[in-house]
Amino acid sequence: MLTRRNSIKAAAGVAAAATLGVASRAEAAQTVKVGISAALTGADAASAARQANGSILALMNANALNEVPGVTFTWEKFDNGTATAGQYDPAQAATNARKMVSDPSIVAAVGPQMSGDGKAMSPILSAGHLITITPSSTNPDITDPKFAAIYRPADNHAPVYFRTVTTDAYQGPNMANFFAEHLKAKKIFILDDSGAYGVGISTAFEGQAKKKGIQVLGHEKLDPKNPDYTAVLTKIKSLNPDSLYYGGVTMAGAKLAKQSYQILPNIHKGGGDGIVGSDFLTAGGFPAIEGWYATIAGPHLVGTASKAVGTFTQQFITKFKTVPDDYAVTGYDAAWVIVQAVKKLVAEKKPITRDNIRSTLLTITVDTLQGPVAFDANGDIKSRVVSVFQIREDKAKPLSDPNAQYAYIGSAPQA
Amino acid sequence: MSGLSLFVQQSINGLTLGAMYALLALGFTMVYGIMELINFAHFSVFMVGTFVALYTFEAFGIFGQSTILHGLPLIGVLLAVFIVTMTVCGGIGMSIERFFLRRLRAVKGPASMITTIGISYILSNSVLLFIGGQGFNFPNPIPPVKFNFGQAVMQVEQPLIWVVSAVLMLGLTYFVQATKLGKAMRATAQDPEAARMMGVDVDRVILTSFFLGSALAGAAAVIFGLYYEYTNFYIGFDAGLRAFTAAVLGGIGNVPGAMLGGLLIGIIETMTSQFISTNWAEVVIFSILVIVLVFRPAGLLGRVAPNKS
Repeated sequence: MLTRRNSIKAAAGVAAAATLGVASRAEAAQTVKVGISAALTGADAASAARQANGSILALMNANALNEVPGVTFTWEKFDNGTATAGQYDPAQAATNARKMVSDPSIVAAVGPQMSGDGKAMSPILSAGHLITITPSSTNPDITDPKFAAIYRPADNHAPVYFRTVTTDAYQGPNMANFFAEHLKAKKIFILDDSGAYGVGISTAFEGQAKKKGIQVLGHEKLDPKNPDYTAVLTKIKSLNPDSLYYGGVTMAGAKLAKQSYQILPNIHKGGGDGIVGSDFLTAGGFPAIEGWYATIAGPHLVGTASKAVGTFTQQFITKFKTVPDDYAVTGYDAAWVIVQAVKKLVAEKKPITRDNIRSTLLTITVDTLQGPVAFDANGDIKSRVVSVFQIREDKAKPLSDPNAQYAYIGSAPQA
Repeated sequence: MSGLSLFVQQSINGLTLGAMYALLALGFTMVYGIMELINFAHFSVFMVGTFVALYTFEAFGIFGQSTILHGLPLIGVLLAVFIVTMTVCGGIGMSIERFFLRRLRAVKGPASMITTIGISYILSNSVLLFIGGQGFNFPNPIPPVKFNFGQAVMQVEQPLIWVVSAVLMLGLTYFVQATKLGKAMRATAQDPEAARMMGVDVDRVILTSFFLGSALAGAAAVIFGLYYEYTNFYIGFDAGLRAFTAAVLGGIGNVPGAMLGGLLIGIIETMTSQFISTNWAEVVIFSILVIVLVFRPAGLLGRVAPNKS
């Protein structure tokens, strides 16, 4: 549990860093480099930048506060998005993972943003003994022991992919519970964007929806590069559903929101964390996106009463000239967990190596902005909160402000 | 929704999609008919067109779907956007010909075609770099009027797309068939050498065909934007590839063939999504293309290419 003393300390730490700026670090004898990967190019670029900046802020604060005496944190950003994909690109992610592994000064990584990238990176990182902590990729397969031979083949299947969000094994089913219990959905159609994340979360949603007695009228895949979804939406209309669930990210999501607004105007529509963020807001626009439900695989923090998150928000705005979202917080937390693991190694006078960071992560509990973070034996976060939002236009605030346009509804019923 | 309404609805969807493919296909087919060159830069000229149109709307103060215009202002703004976008796209097309392809015209082999692929990437990556990779909400000032046919619904943009496409295609047909420059184009298409000997300014003809094809891509860009209210730097590739397929299906180089091919591909794509599955649309489109080409290698209406004897 987050003790009061610890939470005050975390808040004070963030506040102190804000005032100190770049503090002197005269005794910095060792530099520790963290690789940060996200889809900084393409359809999800704004969310990617928020998340990466959250992580960078944590490392800046660690340096400013001299959080680990004698250690200076540096970072290198890796862009998993490419122009040819127009969004995240697993092939590029694999290349980046190889670059990280081959750079001996990188001892830990944060990211990736997308599960499709995670699936490509995890085996490479495993072979390189390099752990990564993802602030947003939620596909459960990557950490599932069933697939350990694929995603963490090396080191006796030791975990390599850690998370500061929960997985779609909860995000999808919990949302299905929300559709059944709160929206009283009876007949639903499910779409996904053919990506690793989209297929995973929509399949998990489908399984639980059926258990809750919702009739699943169909489940189809969208080609994210195809501009036209009118035909499949017309087909869905002819089946008379009362709800639509979409598993996927912005590229197909924004077009789906646009076209379903015309063809399926009066049904419940929802998705996962792939459609949370300013990219979806600005590409979809009102009135098309009004009323869409969406989830994140963690607690809702930005804009809540938490003092530490409030200080973080102020710092983030000062530094990056934009508001953070909840995955900027999980991005901060991911990097902060690495900082604390390094701190523990230094305190125990152990060398700061990739393997030592991994073994430390499996034992520590770190007080972060979202509360205490601890990992299970597979690298998954122990907390399983899924938060539900509904897009409701706030005309007084900018369209691109996710905190204003996504109204927090509550946490979804646990599956 | 009854079976008939559903069929009507999907036909409306398919015709709309097809009209856009047809407009885009014309650009491929015109250039091929005259130069025997597949101009892959056409994809990106279309994509750039959506951004030109987007910024022209925004210059009129129209952002997203918040401003709805009626009557004369609506017609005026739409006309202005069409004219600006078609002119800019036509200009880009002409520049591509004048500054890159003309220098390569004497070079045998695929150098010109590879150049157009390169230009296509340069254009799309420039948009990515200078404008951004995120999706953009395309402005639409047209009132959200809908017409009902039984249970089928037609958005006002759909007949607008048909009318604009029909007018432009008829205009092009008239231009090619009845004007002096059109005659020169047909002469160049038949035999560039003979045309030159008869006093046809072949450079000017080629430049004109690039202008016209690219301007039509600009028109397609505007109606694409108004219909989907969305654009992105990669948007040209998927639509462009299907339009190219349409041109080949109808008979490359053949103007009516491009129109027919575009409409067919639109309908096939829509009906596949309805009766099989949306994931199968591409498989079906390309299977039909292959089957047609096996039995009619020159496409449905026959191929038109310069006589290089």
